[in-house]
Amino acid sequence: MTDPKEKTEKAESGKSEKIGVYICYCGGNISDHVDVEKVRDEAEKMPGVAVARTNSFMCSDPGQELIIEDLKNGLIDRVVVASCAPSLHETTFRGAIARAGANPYIYDHANIREHVSWVLHGEKATFKAEKLVGAAVGKASLLQELDPIRVDARKHATVIGGGIAGLKAAKVLAERGIDVVLVEKSPYLGGNAARLDTIAPFGEKSAALISELAEDVLARDNITVMTHSKVIGFEGYVGNFDLTVQTTFADAADHEQAAGHYIPTVGVITESATEHIIETGAVILATGFKSYQPRHGEYGFGENSAVVTLPEFIKQMSEVDPSKTELEIGSRKIRSIAMIHCVGSRQIPGIHEEDEDGYLNEYCSRTCCSAILHAANQVKEIFPDTNVYDFYRDIRTYGRGQEELYDQAANNRVVFLRYSAEDSPVVTANDDGSDAPLKVTVKDGLTFNEEVEVAVDLVVLATGMEAASIPELVSMMKLPVGTDKFLQEIHPKLAPVEMAVSGVFLAGTAQAPMTIAEACNGAAAAAVKTASLLSKGHVELDPYVAEVDQNLCQGGGACIEACLADGALEMQDVKTAEGTVKKARVVPALCLGCGACAAVCPSRAIDLKGWSLKQYEAMVDMIVAED
Amino acid sequence: MTRITPDFAKELKQYGDDTALICFNCGTCVAVCPLISESFPRRLIRYIQIGARDRILENSNDLYKCLHCGLCTETCPRGADPGEVILSLKRFAVATWRKM
Repeated sequence: MTDPKEKTEKAESGKSEKIGVYICYCGGNISDHVDVEKVRDEAEKMPGVAVARTNSFMCSDPGQELIIEDLKNGLIDRVVVASCAPSLHETTFRGAIARAGANPYIYDHANIREHVSWVLHGEKATFKAEKLVGAAVGKASLLQELDPIRVDARKHATVIGGGIAGLKAAKVLAERGIDVVLVEKSPYLGGNAARLDTIAPFGEKSAALISELAEDVLARDNITVMTHSKVIGFEGYVGNFDLTVQTTFADAADHEQAAGHYIPTVGVITESATEHIIETGAVILATGFKSYQPRHGEYGFGENSAVVTLPEFIKQMSEVDPSKTELEIGSRKIRSIAMIHCVGSRQIPGIHEEDEDGYLNEYCSRTCCSAILHAANQVKEIFPDTNVYDFYRDIRTYGRGQEELYDQAANNRVVFLRYSAEDSPVVTANDDGSDAPLKVTVKDGLTFNEEVEVAVDLVVLATGMEAASIPELVSMMKLPVGTDKFLQEIHPKLAPVEMAVSGVFLAGTAQAPMTIAEACNGAAAAAVKTASLLSKGHVELDPYVAEVDQNLCQGGGACIEACLADGALEMQDVKTAEGTVKKARVVPALCLGCGACAAVCPSRAIDLKGWSLKQYEAMVDMIVAED
Repeated sequence: MTRITPDFAKELKQYGDDTALICFNCGTCVAVCPLISESFPRRLIRYIQIGARDRILENSNDLYKCLHCGLCTETCPRGADPGEVILSLKRFAVATWRKM
């Protein structure tokens, strides 16, 4: 890397006089609305522009070749392409510059498609295109050669959470030669999936799935499994994280974990908790979900033992004797069951009761429709004489093999009743003299909104998924959390397992409610992303980070207060002729490049590489310049 | 208030086809039915599903408007055979007549 001081001097010494401007027609996408040739004529007259050319598709090989030729012939030393959004082709043109043997950061991009031709027409479009090209030329004249920040990366990853997503992620990482530590807070591997019996829609045994994965993980030399453990410290940056992991020996995690300590109703701890520092390169969060626990009285839950959640019912069904002629749970004959969908999901403000924080689960939990219909089919196929009444708002059996569950339920003579959120079913004690303890009443949308009631022996609530409560991890690792309280990816489609914290990835239901198949997909994706990040042994980061001019820095510290990334800016002692003084220093790997520090520095000693204040001024000058 | 009588389907079985529960209440049968009658034949099929025996008898006049053209059976996406179910209901209604 070149000395930063040298670069500053170079920038101050003058602007580039050899800027090449390349304007794209985008096959009519731009040229139908922007007079591209007029923009070219104007660009050619702009200060510092040596070459201005047009092409019907700049991203095509002939288009890129224009840039490469001009660079090789020494006609230009800065490049501006005016075309589509930079998210589409910025890397394309940087690549072309690199192929010509030049530094890829001598490049700026003007978006004259999304920002111009798709929203403006006629003279206005051409005018704005000229202004945007002008701004890019202004900036390009001050662009400097930059080098990506290169940091060493440990070929080691940590997976937090030993559920099915964590196991899958650990296995895939290990297969790719990455050493793995798997941290699980409970004594067991398998997580929520281990609480299931058979899995919708195809009926595999969850025991078999979990055992197969866990055995594989436990047998691998390059996976270390730490159960009874939690991450209590997080430091460092991508490629070089230091995690503090605490391992306890008692189940009561909320208590002091020192040997000799007495835990009420449990006993005396014999071994103190231990702490380890895990030196790792990346972290995969597979912290899972928690099953929604209905409020006391919600559909009679907690008031009557015949009202159970779906996970409880799955457990009860797994213990049922299938050779009996009638379904019996806890020696009680179950001749009719009401199943109620959307419990704790798709809650609506003003209709559903908020929790103590004024919060509602407004999302669909996505798995409960299939899971409860799977359970209904199981009941009807083993005990056809047990009547099953399915109270739904909407049926969302959306995945492969799942719609078939709904078909199958109808063929199995499950009776469907449809309720609307504002008229949810009401569960009360049964008073018709039969031995069924409960009665469910609903305004049934399928029966022309008539009030319908049915006496039942059991009510099963299709409870949804809620984000696992991990406030310590969220604040320690500065993890983005969505309005639904689940961890949030960078982009739901384009970066679905990546988090805004570089080097941190997402696997499974920590991210959103999803099926086991989807959780495994996500986990594999996160693991492969992690492996490709770490496998080179180093990580390259964008060079757009803050830079301190040590000559101008007064050591006031305003930048450090403004800094959004812990540790990205620090004070250091510098020896000068007047003695030791404090000056700010940037830790490039931690810097987000947001510019908050540059905005507050009273002596303009701090600036962003590639986005300097001088470059902004040059852009503004070009925008306001008269013709 | 309509109370679900779970064993009605069994009672109806002696009069003919037991396909009502395959119906998923889409209403195609109502749309193609040439009779100008509200929600026929879906309403009666729905009453079978929930075992609303009394409602069927209250609405049994509707049964005799049916022309047995077979359009509903032809178009039913679930193969629930509404035309045949209406015939079963006719037999049920006749057998139950004046026993109410």
